[in-house]
Amino acid sequence: MTVDYDTSDLTPSASPMEVQMDYHALNAMLNLYAPDGKIQFDADRQAVRQYFLQHVNPNTVFFHTLHEKLGYLVDNGYYEAEVLAQYSEEFIKSLFKAAYAHKHRFSTFLGAFKYYTSYTLKTFDGKRYLERFEDRVCMVALGLAGGDEAMARDLVEEIITGRFQPATPTFLNVGKKQRGEFTSCFLLRVEDSMESIARGINSALQLSKRGGGVALLLTNLREQGAPIKHIQNQASGVIPVMKLLEDSFSYANQLGARQGAGAVYLNAHHPDILRFLDTKRENADEKIRIKTLSMGVVIPDITFELAKTNQPMHLFSPYDVERVYGVPFADISVTEKYDEMVADDRITKTTISARDFFQTLAEIQFESGYPYILFEDTANRANPLAGRITHSNLCSEILQVSTPSRLNPDLTYAEVGRDISCNLGSLNIALTMDSPDFARTIDTAVRALTAVSDTSDIDAVPTVRRGNELSHAIGLGQMNLAGYLAREHIYYGSPDALDFTSVYFAAVAFHAISASNRLAIERGTTFDGFADSTYASGAYFDKYTARDWLPTTDTVRALFTKAGITVPTRADWAALKASVMEHGIYNAYLQAVPPTGSISYINHSTASIHPIVSKIEIRKEGKLGRVYYPAAFMDNDNLAYYQDAYEVGYEKIIDTYAAATEHVDQGLSLTLFFPADVTTRDVNKAQIYAWRKGIKSLYYIRLRQMALEGTAVEGCVSCAL
Amino acid sequence: MPTPPKVKLIDRVTAINWNKVEDEVDQDVWDRLTGNFWLPEKVPMHIDLPSWATLNEAEQTMTVRVFAGLTLLDTIQGTVGAVSLIPDCITPHEEAVMTNISFMESVHAKSYSNIFTTLCSTKAIDDAFDWSEDNEYLQKKAHIVLDYYRGDDPLMRKVASTMLESFLFYSGFYAPMYWSSRGKLTSTADMIRLIIRDEAVHGYYIGYKFQKGLEQVSSQRHAEIVGYAYDLLSDLYANEVQYTRSLYDPLGLTDDVTKFLKYNGNKALMNLGLDALFPRDEATPNPAILAALDPGAAENHDFFSGSGSSYVMGAHAAKPTTDEDWDF
Repeated sequence: MTVDYDTSDLTPSASPMEVQMDYHALNAMLNLYAPDGKIQFDADRQAVRQYFLQHVNPNTVFFHTLHEKLGYLVDNGYYEAEVLAQYSEEFIKSLFKAAYAHKHRFSTFLGAFKYYTSYTLKTFDGKRYLERFEDRVCMVALGLAGGDEAMARDLVEEIITGRFQPATPTFLNVGKKQRGEFTSCFLLRVEDSMESIARGINSALQLSKRGGGVALLLTNLREQGAPIKHIQNQASGVIPVMKLLEDSFSYANQLGARQGAGAVYLNAHHPDILRFLDTKRENADEKIRIKTLSMGVVIPDITFELAKTNQPMHLFSPYDVERVYGVPFADISVTEKYDEMVADDRITKTTISARDFFQTLAEIQFESGYPYILFEDTANRANPLAGRITHSNLCSEILQVSTPSRLNPDLTYAEVGRDISCNLGSLNIALTMDSPDFARTIDTAVRALTAVSDTSDIDAVPTVRRGNELSHAIGLGQMNLAGYLAREHIYYGSPDALDFTSVYFAAVAFHAISASNRLAIERGTTFDGFADSTYASGAYFDKYTARDWLPTTDTVRALFTKAGITVPTRADWAALKASVMEHGIYNAYLQAVPPTGSISYINHSTASIHPIVSKIEIRKEGKLGRVYYPAAFMDNDNLAYYQDAYEVGYEKIIDTYAAATEHVDQGLSLTLFFPADVTTRDVNKAQIYAWRKGIKSLYYIRLRQMALEGTAVEGCVSCAL
Repeated sequence: MPTPPKVKLIDRVTAINWNKVEDEVDQDVWDRLTGNFWLPEKVPMHIDLPSWATLNEAEQTMTVRVFAGLTLLDTIQGTVGAVSLIPDCITPHEEAVMTNISFMESVHAKSYSNIFTTLCSTKAIDDAFDWSEDNEYLQKKAHIVLDYYRGDDPLMRKVASTMLESFLFYSGFYAPMYWSSRGKLTSTADMIRLIIRDEAVHGYYIGYKFQKGLEQVSSQRHAEIVGYAYDLLSDLYANEVQYTRSLYDPLGLTDDVTKFLKYNGNKALMNLGLDALFPRDEATPNPAILAALDPGAAENHDFFSGSGSSYVMGAHAAKPTTDEDWDF
């Protein structure tokens, strides 16, 4: 078979003048209005074309046939021979042919640029390209399907149509011989001992080397000034540990593919909480300033109650708490034990004003965007498994239970605890609504993510390996909600939009649980701990059998009818409940909605279920520089439906996330957007609103400072309001 | 030898009362500048090390020289320029803003050192500073501006200062914007965009004060000053083209930078309330540079590479919550 490398039909033909321009300049024209006041979408399409003509095509290694190409890539150590050996040559050929028949074309410059810069297989010197998008899709499908031809076909179909997009570590790595792991996210516990801290740093290095972000729980570490071996004022607290972690993450990067990235979480009632927040202050001393390590604060309900009545909040020494209760600080509910701990003289404590705490939190968010917030009690109430959720991950959407480890002095494990990993991939909501078979799209996605869990075996970190073996946790995400709504002429956050979000997410939950139930039946096994979950007791399904989750507006009813999607009824849910209670489900966790940075650019989606940040988004990344990106489905005629996040306001964003949160077993990355002239009080009000609405976690705070009048660049799309 | 006169910046001793602000622009600019306070240590420069290593020798030399040149300009502006404008201030609030501007210029001068020390060897840094002392065009523009600062015409001091803030810096700013549009030195570009964020306000503010001052003079004097302003820009432009050639000729970027110079020359005149000098079609820079120039902060960056240029001081926005906010 001859592979089609022809790019002549990528875009409409260019005028002679435009051919002269370089693709970066063409792309930048997106951000500058044309003389007639229109956004220059065509310039971006020209940029894609020129990028291929000037850069990609001349730098792509040419092969005459697929046979020649695959042979070369395997022989030279680029492709994993094992992946291809699972299939007949004839099948592989037909699969590539089917993929190429879709005539995939990148619709934005950023999509193409991002794909070729960060994903595609390159020669070892990094100078020439060995894969096109179709090749990557086929290799991912062949790798994940593990020899199952039908699944490989289904996966190619779902990915090449853009309905399902595996997360970056999966899409980047599968099928390559020289590669990192496929898993996106890792969450580690650190206990209150030098051995555990050292293990934590080692694990952070090992996991960063292999890919994925790592988040560590610091709540259990004794505070600054706590005793060591009963001698007072000895401990250094959490800040020096953060410094060690920050340096570790900068050191490790995945073959240079991505800056090692890490986060740390601390409970609001930890005595070091204010020092923790101050590490992100603009004028922090260099020795305590944290630049690239992300951070999150775990806030229980009691903190809100204390702020409501304007009381001081007590901070408790984790060292003492562990001695009194016999379990690490993070494993007790501060809300539940608050009064008891306040009254207990054995626990050292200090107080700060609860309202001041929230205000300080918001001040730091103004300066840095951090910290994330995990609403601990909300997340635990919604958790279907027995056990405690103590922290989240680098993007604040992974919420799973963990258990502590015990270590010997030589750092070997006396008891291997359970840490967390999560395999992510997202559906493009608009294209999934267009799917010829909605249920099958979700089934295929769940199976693909499960395959990632099944093939994942992180020997270097035994706690992560054990957690994965026990849970087979996956995180099916969603993106392009804003693009879909705008395409259907619905305003983000409107009653129609909220109705759609609720019905869509309920339907996804139904089909995802069904798929996991089928996996359990096929394999005759469930995740470990199923018996103690609300899936086994049936309590999980109560809200679906007690009431309908069908469209309540005519608009949304019409959308599902037009799409030919039958929304699950109470009877459908009851039948699923019976099957799950009988056979179980294979995956401990099924959904998590990540922020979808890179993959939504490749897929030309709007990110996650957020509103757009700008009609033309300015994207800056270490490897890309500054690139301009148009929102999905946007043209000069439907601009009105593309309100940006700052115009939409926090209430509608939170309402949208609340409607989705109802049906998502883990979390959703929720960024809040404010113009820079708001105050910390406005930020606090948004946080209170989010907590009241049942949001489980908050991701970044983003501020947009508009240029002072008279200093802006004239005719710039992203700075015009 | 006569003893030099003691520095006398103001001749009254009146406490500054921010409850009685005579010109609201003073308050707006003060708020904006203090809210935008930053220190170079916040930018994770080490991220640029791998991409710095991909630049060839000519590219590295150009880049280091650009920063040496910018350091020199910011040194002038921090220690002489903004300070020389203080005695001309009309309101105490204007003085306060000028002291802020002066301080931030020193922050800028320091921030180039952070870039240098992260990316280059001491030898390369020393060479670049030697170059900046030997480059006749750089020295010439420094002297032209310094002459005005030391002169006795308050309005022309403001013109010179605006030219520096809105025009002369930009031949240097081109380089980091150019690299960042190509995915290189993006942390450096973050740092420079923080500087641009400040310089855009400085140029605007000093230009605005110039316009206020110009309203007070006779029409004959008015015409004279405007004439000087255009003459000054023409002189600076002619010199700037030579300076640009000395920096960018080896990389073949001079034509592109020249358009950018004209664009910013017009921008400086705009800040002074004057009509553009260069025709629009000659003053249209490369869209990739122009689009990167916006001082607003709509940039959506991956947070793993630092916090970008979007964030502002939190204490500035601090406001306690009230009982009604907690009514749940």
